[in-house]
Amino acid sequence: MLNHGSGFGKLVVNEWLKLSKKRSFFIAFLIMAGFVALLAYLTTIAPSGETYTALRFAAECMEIRGLGSIMLYIVIISTSGIVAREHSMGTIKFLMIRAHGRSRILASKYVVALLYMLALAVFTLAVTLAAGWVVFGFGASEVSWADLFLQALYTLVYMFVYTTFVFMIGVLTRSAGATIGIGMFAVVLQSILNMVLSRYAFAKYLLFTNTDLSVYATNTAPIKGMTLTFSVIILSVYVILFLAASFVTFKRRDIA
Amino acid sequence: MATNERERAVLSLKGVTKRIGGKTIVEGLGFELFPGEIVGLLGPNGAGKTTTIRMIVGLIGMTEGDISIGGHSIRSEFTKAIRHVGGIIENPEFYPYMTGLDNLKQYRRMTDGITDERFQEVIRLVGLEDALNKRVKAYSLGMRQRLGIAQALLHKPSLLILDEPTNGLDPAGIREMRDYLKEIASKEGIAILISSHLLSEIEQICGRVVVIQNGKLVTVRDIGEQQNKAERSQIEVVVRATPLTVARQALDRLDMVQVTRVFEERNELLLSLKDEDIPLVVKALGEHDAALYRIEEAKSTLEEEFLKWTGGNRIA
Repeated sequence: MLNHGSGFGKLVVNEWLKLSKKRSFFIAFLIMAGFVALLAYLTTIAPSGETYTALRFAAECMEIRGLGSIMLYIVIISTSGIVAREHSMGTIKFLMIRAHGRSRILASKYVVALLYMLALAVFTLAVTLAAGWVVFGFGASEVSWADLFLQALYTLVYMFVYTTFVFMIGVLTRSAGATIGIGMFAVVLQSILNMVLSRYAFAKYLLFTNTDLSVYATNTAPIKGMTLTFSVIILSVYVILFLAASFVTFKRRDIA
Repeated sequence: MATNERERAVLSLKGVTKRIGGKTIVEGLGFELFPGEIVGLLGPNGAGKTTTIRMIVGLIGMTEGDISIGGHSIRSEFTKAIRHVGGIIENPEFYPYMTGLDNLKQYRRMTDGITDERFQEVIRLVGLEDALNKRVKAYSLGMRQRLGIAQALLHKPSLLILDEPTNGLDPAGIREMRDYLKEIASKEGIAILISSHLLSEIEQICGRVVVIQNGKLVTVRDIGEQQNKAERSQIEVVVRATPLTVARQALDRLDMVQVTRVFEERNELLLSLKDEDIPLVVKALGEHDAALYRIEEAKSTLEEEFLKWTGGNRIA
């Protein structure tokens, strides 16, 4: 399978197996299903008087303020060890004395971190739809499928940027614990910094202010002068910097 | 001749230097390995053995010099060079939550062209058939060592690098491993570089030793049987005879025999002579009425020689 480019696909398979053969692998998915069930229950007993449909329920769940940040926390925890644990377990030695360049090995790890993120998001989306269908049904709704997918896309962008950030931290620190700590801290810091710094113009160049693209859907830029294009460019620059730091460090590092 | 030799070398280090900060860990190291030979890398603690081995497999970079494996530079053609190498660097570490089989499959996927036959052959060879479906977490160090050997041999390397290969093996396992390494070296022409702190181990398996100290090459020596043949002309024997003074006087008269040391408390003499002169020693002792109890060859062990080379430093 996937045997192009002299075995990159096989490297990705290897990395995926390293992640999925852990006993804790399915727990992440169970937790997401649990949260969806809880939200569905809370929504039915909430005395809001609003009518929910499956699509509206799913769209709200997929928001960053919904299950987006919880999903991100799980991705941070699950992927924090993808590079760091190879170092701490010592398995990095066998991994690096194969006929594959270091960049290719790191790339396969990054691809799997993203695949994991995607798998968790798709799973969560499917479960929210299923739960929404069971609890609320697919009635006439002001929320369309397009709205739902756009919402999921915003959350994916947000998760993608942080997953890349956490991937870099894992390469730099070589410690899964430190990676989880720094990753979580950065995510929590985002909401605080956004409030404190939003009055300063320079804040629009920060990563934190740009990760939530959903703000542009309602035409309210977080800081004057910010647009969707602006944010996408800023995010791209950060992602490229994170990846450059990761790959340069990983390629040059002495493995003692 | 010299260029032929160089081309034939599986592994060749030239002026390899590693500096970290201002500290020189390995300096101008150079040696070669040829197909089918087993070479020991020896040195006291902190001599730079581990650093050297890690540079050979590209885990750490070098400051100066170059290492070529199968004619490819590990610096500029890493994947081509490393393709020829199988190795265990320090302890064999695997993914503990996966089975031995799943671990081995990881390494199988990383090299093209490992057939099912080869895969099964290697598993049989290291004797892991029964343990393969257990998680590595439950493995003893000896079992992990075997699994380590298996991952190193999967892709039929022409250079095998082993750091402390018998670490954690029981005596039967050590013997089996030794026989096996000798076999693959002679049958498949694999060159093997072993670093070990067990000098007796090295002595029993290696044909040559490379001794380093303070990051520099001290000596490269042939050991074992080859050396015995080469130095057959002059050997050392210990003779136990009483009375010792009589024996000594008798032997001092023989021109071709030199008494190099006297151990009075044990009634022993250390002699340096040619093999064919031993009957003369027996005859001389008999003629002078000295009672002969034993004659044995005094082999200087690798350990003694090692201490000589490294100036009595503690062994790693």
